[in-house]
Amino acid sequence: MLNTRTSYQLALRQLTDSALPTGAFAHSLGFETYIERGVVHDEGSFGVWLAAFLSQQLTYSDALAIRFLYEGRDVLELDGLLSAQLLPRQMREASVKMGSRMLEIGTEVFPSRALSDYRAVVSGGRAAGHQPLAFAVVARSLGVPQAEATAAYLFAAVTSLTQNAVRAIPLGQNAGQRVLRNAHDGVAAAVERAVRLTPDDFGAVSPGLEISQMRHEHQRARMFMS
Amino acid sequence: MSTTPLAVPQGDVTAEAARPDFGAAAWWAPRSGHGPKSGEAAGRTPAPMGELALRIEHRGGRSVASHQFHRGALRVLRPHYLDDSGQVCYVVVNPGGAYLGADLYVLDVEVGDGADLLLSTQSATKIYRTPESFAEQRMTVRLGEGSRLELAPDQVIAYREASYRQNTHITVRPTSSLVMAEVITPGWSPDGASFRYEELRLRNEIHVETGEGTRLLTLDNLLIRPPLDDITGTGFMEGYSHLGSLVVADARVDQALADELHQLTEKFDAYTGVSLSATMDGITALVLRSLSNSTEKLNTLLGGCSGLLRQRWYGQAPLNLRKY
Repeated sequence: MLNTRTSYQLALRQLTDSALPTGAFAHSLGFETYIERGVVHDEGSFGVWLAAFLSQQLTYSDALAIRFLYEGRDVLELDGLLSAQLLPRQMREASVKMGSRMLEIGTEVFPSRALSDYRAVVSGGRAAGHQPLAFAVVARSLGVPQAEATAAYLFAAVTSLTQNAVRAIPLGQNAGQRVLRNAHDGVAAAVERAVRLTPDDFGAVSPGLEISQMRHEHQRARMFMS
Repeated sequence: MSTTPLAVPQGDVTAEAARPDFGAAAWWAPRSGHGPKSGEAAGRTPAPMGELALRIEHRGGRSVASHQFHRGALRVLRPHYLDDSGQVCYVVVNPGGAYLGADLYVLDVEVGDGADLLLSTQSATKIYRTPESFAEQRMTVRLGEGSRLELAPDQVIAYREASYRQNTHITVRPTSSLVMAEVITPGWSPDGASFRYEELRLRNEIHVETGEGTRLLTLDNLLIRPPLDDITGTGFMEGYSHLGSLVVADARVDQALADELHQLTEKFDAYTGVSLSATMDGITALVLRSLSNSTEKLNTLLGGCSGLLRQRWYGQAPLNLRKY
């Protein structure tokens, strides 16, 4: 029989595996705009974008939302904050699309009272159902410590984006692995930063990332939904 | 580093600090009080350096102030009517000329049912060095049914070692109309280098109020900390120096308007994005963000967009704010 730590670790691996069918393969979260502009075109330039995305958006929105949920904040309130803060429409849609899949999968494999409560307010139309919150509700119910959950979530996000970049730029598979290895320190820094931020830091945006995410709506030829 | 288990530090999210004047403030609302720049351990609330309250009502075919109060280093110039629309224009003046460390400025603006206010400033908001603290402007805005506010302040200029927080809390009705434009410059330092300030934090919340209660429509939180991250390049300022924002909350905002403003802004020498918030109780916010290399370029672009709205929705000419 597995002890608690082993069992949550395997659960966490399943939840953050890039094969988890949340549809992450369909989202560039704005980097496709940088590809179109020619700003992101190789391993190095993608790494620059990824580092900015990780230290800004993933830290101030996703990681902070996960932390607040772990600290016992109301999931309905956090859901409303994320919807209000994700100003580029495609970012809201991406978060809700992947969030709804996470809610479904979570219900199938790691059901909990907290998860069915969140799912109920989402199906009732009172919440949107955002990806970091759906993930955090499941991870918390499994007893995954906050820092570990945050690090796993961030690294999963970075992994999906890098795999998408490997296809889109394209990059070699080994280049993709180097990008991921180089993102380790950034993930650790993001986890540390997220615990030191204050509530009014939540949702702080980087104008460049945001403009690119907005402009993606008007991009003609595109591989990704965001 | 990355493989070591990460400690679980304690956040201070539950620490209760003095609450700002935002009514029943949520736990995530900005805290008042001045403390370290990171926002940890907020201290006592200082007496404001300047206070301004303005209430506009619709009377006899035009908008007039029904209440006006000022104290300290904030006041308004006498009202103007720039055209025959009935829209009243007030210009906020900071006679001190700049915000200094730990200065708190409090503005409270209410636009009553059917009233129409254009609120601007006489000159740029300049923030000088704020050692050990930050300057703060806290603005509360309440829009009545069928009312309109155009908020068109001059640009923000932060000097070397300046920290500034601007918290704007807006409550609209589903029938209100809000247009706000803002420009942030790279600041100023004696050696001519850009982005030498410590921190700029411009946080706007728009809430929609109905008989059922109040809901958050948008949270626009801009945080620039040049010492913490390289903000000049990819993913932040994208090599540009100036940042402009336009926010429109109005029941008439739709995707066609967003597309039209996108097309309009493509003609300018700037990097611009436009998108829409969710629709809440029939009202939608449009957010336009633009990067360029001068205040003037951004003012032209933002003025072009607000001019289109003025013309289409009110039959007014584009805004031409000579400084009175």
